[in-house]
Formats: sequence, C-alpha cells, structure tokens
Amino acid sequence: MSMKLTVANAQGFQVNFQGQKQQGMGCAGAAFVQDGSTIFYNPAGMSFAKKSEANLSITPIFGNVMFVDSSTGDVYRTENPVGTPFNAYVLQKSKNHHRLAYGLSITTPFGSTVQYEPGWIGRFAITRLSMKVFHIQPTAAFKITDNISIGAGFVFSPGNVSLQKDLPVQFNDGSYGHAEISGAAMGYGYNLGVFYNPGGVLNVGLSYRSGINMSVSDGQVQFSVPNALAGNFPDGTLSASLALPSVTTLGLHIKPNASWNVLADINYVGWNTYDTLAFDYATNTSSLVDTKSPRMYHNIFAFRGGIQYAVFAKDKVLNVRLGGGFGFSPVQSGYLTPETPDGNRAYVTSGVSYEFNKRFSLDASIYATKITRADKNLETQLNGTFTTIAWAPGIGINYNW
Amino acid sequence: MKLQYVYILLLLPYLWACKPKAPIQEVNAGTADFSKFISIGDGHTAGYMDDGLCIEGQKNSLGYILQQQLMMVGAPAIEMPWMSDQNIGLNTNGLSRLILGYKTDCQGNSSLSPVRYSIQGETSAFSASAYNPLKKYTNFGIPGLRMIDMVSSIFGNLNFPQHNPFFARMSMDQYNFPGSGNFSSVQENIFNGGFPSFCTIYLGIEDVLPYAKSGANTNPMSPITGFPGVGFDESLGQLCEQLASQNVKAVIATIPNISQWPFFNTIPYNGLTLDAEKAASLNQIFNPIGISFVVGANPFIVSDPNAGMFGVRQALPGEKILLSVPLDSVKCNQMGSVFPFRNEFVLTLEELNEIQMRIDVFNELIRQKATTYGFAIVETDDFYQKLNTGFTYNGVAHSTRFVSGGAFSLDGIHLNPRGNALLANEFIRSINKKFNAKIPLINALNYNAILFP
Repeated sequence: MSMKLTVANAQGFQVNFQGQKQQGMGCAGAAFVQDGSTIFYNPAGMSFAKKSEANLSITPIFGNVMFVDSSTGDVYRTENPVGTPFNAYVLQKSKNHHRLAYGLSITTPFGSTVQYEPGWIGRFAITRLSMKVFHIQPTAAFKITDNISIGAGFVFSPGNVSLQKDLPVQFNDGSYGHAEISGAAMGYGYNLGVFYNPGGVLNVGLSYRSGINMSVSDGQVQFSVPNALAGNFPDGTLSASLALPSVTTLGLHIKPNASWNVLADINYVGWNTYDTLAFDYATNTSSLVDTKSPRMYHNIFAFRGGIQYAVFAKDKVLNVRLGGGFGFSPVQSGYLTPETPDGNRAYVTSGVSYEFNKRFSLDASIYATKITRADKNLETQLNGTFTTIAWAPGIGINYNW
Repeated sequence: MKLQYVYILLLLPYLWACKPKAPIQEVNAGTADFSKFISIGDGHTAGYMDDGLCIEGQKNSLGYILQQQLMMVGAPAIEMPWMSDQNIGLNTNGLSRLILGYKTDCQGNSSLSPVRYSIQGETSAFSASAYNPLKKYTNFGIPGLRMIDMVSSIFGNLNFPQHNPFFARMSMDQYNFPGSGNFSSVQENIFNGGFPSFCTIYLGIEDVLPYAKSGANTNPMSPITGFPGVGFDESLGQLCEQLASQNVKAVIATIPNISQWPFFNTIPYNGLTLDAEKAASLNQIFNPIGISFVVGANPFIVSDPNAGMFGVRQALPGEKILLSVPLDSVKCNQMGSVFPFRNEFVLTLEELNEIQMRIDVFNELIRQKATTYGFAIVETDDFYQKLNTGFTYNGVAHSTRFVSGGAFSLDGIHLNPRGNALLANEFIRSINKKFNAKIPLINALNYNAILFP
C-alpha cells in the first residue's frame, strides 16, 4: 500500500493557508504581525500585536490535477471535491503583564482530498486519498526587552486519513478488487519563535515548527475481492505513521512609510524524515504482506514574499496585497506519486482587507498555482506528466478588543 | 495609487485557466502504410487462450489488440473468423475453454483450479465455414500454424487427419468448393484478392512447442532446412520473398524461450513433499537402487531409459515436469514416486537443450530475413525474459507464474488478454522505431488478466 497526502498549497503535503492577510502576501509572515495568524507564523510575534483579537477564515481549494501517461498519451483527471481548510485564532494581550500575550489556534495545516477519475491508469497506486489534520496550538509569548520577544506553543495534532485504491485481482465480470485503509491519527509537536524589532522600519522573525509524527495505531483495512481470494485479503487492523516535517523560517518585514509594507520569508523544510511509507497489517497472508514504499523526500527551501499597500479613504482603510512564492519540491526524481503530484512550484496571491469599524474587519485573498512535473516512479513504473492547477479564494473576519 | 490599478493587481491570478489543458498528441504511421493490414501467426495472433478459442479470446488476441491500435493510423476494421457469441470456446479435442473454478481432488479437498467452462466445446464451429467472400480477413492467426504449414495444401483438407480445423473453417475452399477436393494453402488464402500493405508475422512457436508439450516424446520439431513446406528456412524465405516482391512492409517476431512458460514450470522438479512415514516407505523401495528420500521436498522420480538397469532416477534441478501430469495420480496413486513420471511428462536437460538450440537456429534465420528485407523485428524473448524476472506495470506486478503472474492464460502456454496487450506494445515499439511512426502504446490495464470466482 502506498499513501501520501496532498493539498493544493503545499510542498509535499505542507499547507500554508494561515491568516487571510498573510495569504494575500504570498503566505509569508514570520516577521509581520497583523493578526492572530502569527500564532502559526511566529508565536513570538504575539507580543508585538497591537490589539487582542479573534480571526476566523476559510479558504476553499479548487484543485485540478491532470495526468498524461507518457506511453499511451491517455489523459486522466482528478474529480476532487472542494477542500475547505479553515483557521481560527484568538490572541489575548495580557492585561496584567504588558510583555505577555497568549493565544490559541485551531487550524487545518494538512488536509485535502484527491480523487482520480474511475479507471485511471494509476488506479492500483491510488484512487482516492482524503486526509484531515487539525492543529490545536495553545501558545504564549513574552517580550524580553522592548525589542525582542520569544514565543512557544504546544501542538496537539489529531487527524484522520482514508486511502483507497484498486487491487489487481479481478472478479468474474472483469471488475477489479478494491482496498480502503482508514484510521484516526494523533501526533504532538511544538512551535517556537523569536521576534526582533530593532526599532524603525525593520522587523525580523525566526521560527521553528517541529516535525510531528502522526501515528495511526488502530487503522482499519477493508477489502473487496472475489470470494475465492477472500482468505488472502482479510479485513482487519493495521498501523502506520507519517512524519510531518519541521519548518524553520526566517522572515523580514520592512515598513518604509505608512502606506507600504514589504515582507519576505525563507522556509527550510525538513522533509527528509519522510523516507518510507510503511503499513503494518495485523494479519498477514501470502497476498497481504506489510509494505514499505520508498518516498525519499529531501529537505527543501521555499521563498515567500509580498507587499501591502494601504489606501486611505476618509477614515476607513483599505489594504490591498500582492504576493507570491517559490518552493522546491521535496520529491526526488523517481519518487513522484499520484497522491502528491508535486513539483517545483511558483504561485501568486493577492488580497484585500477592509475595516468596517474599530472592531470589525473583513479579509479576502486568492491564491493560484500551476505545477508541472514529469517523472517515472521507480516502484509503480507509473510514467507521465502531472499538471496541477489550483485556486484558493479565501475569506476571513476579524474582531478585536 | 489609483484604484483601477489595484483591481488589476487583484485580478492577476485569474490569468490562469481553471483546469489543465490536455496536450495534442501526435500520431502518425511514419513510412508505413497500414491501409491493407493483416496479421499472420499462430494461436497467439488468433486469440487462442485458456486452452481454447472463443470470441472473447479473439477480441483479446495479439492480432486484434495490435490492429485496434493501428486503426489510429489507418488500419482497416478487424475481420476474423469469429467464434459464436456463446463464448464457450473450442480446442482440437472438442473441449471448451478453461476457467478458474473449484475442483475436488482425489483426497476430497476442494480448491481453486482451472476447470472446463462447459462439458463440451462449441464443436459446431468446426463443421461450418466461417468464410465470407465479401469480407477479407485481416487476421490470419491460426492456432497450431507452423512456419512450414504456410504453403501446405493439406493444412485445410478435411480428408487428412492432420488437417487443421481452425484453418479449414476459415479457408475460402470450404465456402467456394465444399467437397470439391480443391484445397488452397494458408498463403494462398492470405494473398487471395491482393497483397497487404503491411503485415505482422509471428510464427515459429508451433514449430517447436508441440514437441516440448509432448515431453519431447512425439510431434517432432520442424526441420531446419528443406523446401518450402518442409524446412523452416525455405518456408520462411519463400514467405518473405513473396511479401518483399510486392513491397509489403512487415514486422516479424522471433521465437521466445518457451521452456520458461508456466506449463513447464508450475510443478517444481522437487515437488515431492514427504512426511517421515512416506519417506521411510519410499526409502524401503528405492534405497536398494541407490535413491533415498528425506522428509520435506524431494525430486520426483522420472523414468529414463539411460538411468541404470531400472530406468528410473530422480529429476534433476532445471528439468521440467509438465503441467499435463495427472495431479490426482501424483497425490493419491504415487505417480512421480513409486510410479515414475513417464517421458511424456518430463523434459530432461538434454531435451531442453535440444529445443533451445532449435529455437536459436530458427531465430537466427528470422533475424537474417528481417535484415535482408528491411522488416522490423520484435525480439519476443526480451519480453518474456522481463516477464520471467517479473516487472511492474503501472503499479501491477506481472510474471510468468501460473495464475498469480497475471500474464498467462490458464493453459500455461498462451498469454491472457493482459499479456497479449503487453506484447502488442512490443510490436508497436518496433514498428515505431523501424518506420519512424508515432503510434501510442496500449494501456494494458484495460485488458483482463485472470478472472476469479
């Protein structure tokens, strides 16, 4: 069995849809605090937040993958349902200790559904993968001096996953067997940050989100196979685990005047923990053996950045944003799989915010990317070109106090 | 900054389309002309599989699958001597095709096994002509067709016991001159009404296979030399010259190493598994002539006239026990131990060598002719070697293993639809290379492997 996870806005299966404002600026934000999303981007940034606030946003992902098989020229597509990552942040500045801030975030940093059209040529690798991971992160930050703060959060990471694929055994009518693996997973991690404002126009942020080992201890596997083979494919339990990568981010933010903000992030993503995807079935048979599929991800850099321009109209402020990024693919040549048809990726984003009054504001953003990657998988011999186009328009509301 | 510029910035990402656009595929025939295409061959080309010929097999034959793909580059519609829609299947013994079913053995154990689809094959197929003068066959796959049968005038002659009923039912003679005593050869049938523009030739397996299937006992292999109709070399040469003289372009295939097929490899030479009691009792019988048995796996006992005064010995590593052995006799009546396997169930190392040497000579002749006449060549053994090693195709493992290997049909000789599609791709690769064509390969996963109850 092979399993891997994918989302539209991801290198590998890392997602960065966090905070509509940051999403409008290329999903950068380790050194620019505008709302509660700094809990994710850089916990230390909470101490530099101007207000206590709550943010809620949702970013539907419309992702379409096309696979062109290299030998037949046949074209296959995904029929993905719309993904709905959301995030919610609450950031509270301490009333008693002005250097202290704390907060909580509930986000979906990993999660999506990939579903290929029926009968596609890679059906024995995967037909459908759906994954949801929630991160619940209580976080605190403390200003050591007026210029430097530190922050830390603990990450609870519950999730669930379901993987389906066809089995190369055929019923009398020629239809293929099918397998579905599903299970709940749990993992733990942390998120650390340092935020530095030397005074003036510059901010610097450094954050480290730990890797998280998502472990499925009581997964279920269900088979649909011809009667004659039922004994070879017993339904039962299995265990598996998936290593989510660590992310180290260095961010810069410059605010040359009241209208302009410019920011950039560099991510170093520790993907090399994802070298194998293993399934350990409780009951093994001659046809059902434990599997170890090589993934061989390697660590990558990603670059993100954006600008924000404030349009002042009477006493209201309209912020408009533009951003983009580029990330190298962690998937080495020979290891591309249809669960994550990943490639080096460039994307653009834009966004807008409008303040209705002192308390309420509304954010919107949009993200678009196109990825093309040709490869021949060494394990399955699936050989062709994946092209992914993904759109993710997001909307968020903010309330501060 | 003016607001209209802001809007333009916000709309920038919309320059992308929503869905990836499919590329336009370049498909062409290169220097080949497939407008008058035919395939010539034996049961593989005809769609013989599961030890019978039926319409489903025909529609999943090497010839059919290949031609269907070539229709993208101008090949005509497929015409074959169709079997009935009943899909029962028929072989020369009058039996139906094999399917996977449950069979109870002599010990009362029921297990998954190849069983006949029906008590009787669709024998009516041999008593009626399938020939239609208005339609020209594009597929001259004839189960059992040897290279040396191509010009034979008795091959379709019902008066001779050695005639081939699969050919007789498709020959124009049966339709034109029933009982007239006029019998034309396969080649005359092929060239009747004009030469093809392109043909595939996959012959030669049947020139060695019947001998191997008989345990090198009967059905001698075709002679290497001799006139057309007698020797392999001149039969091949005559066919190639005929085609070349009419500027027919062709792809010709070599003969694979048949001894690696499941028919010869499913029963291991040391498949005699004994417990202590049985080993002891066999030792009592055989120890006096220097053969001893151990608990566990033992080589079967085979008869060999050269093996000492009793003419029996243990099978050697590398020797083949054929799938034709009566397994119930092995299980319950001590065949292969107390009663040695007869010659017809065994290929000895010497016999295997003899067969391989003949195949090698035939293949060298085929390669020479291909070079001389500018035909594309398919080294089928490269394909079968890959299968023998085992390979993964789009996530599905294939091998030469019986049933579970997924490429051979239940007779252990002929490929199943999946195997035929994979082999058809080798023909396409060869055509593309030789004739500078751009014909896409076939998705072999669209073809059935083994169907389970």
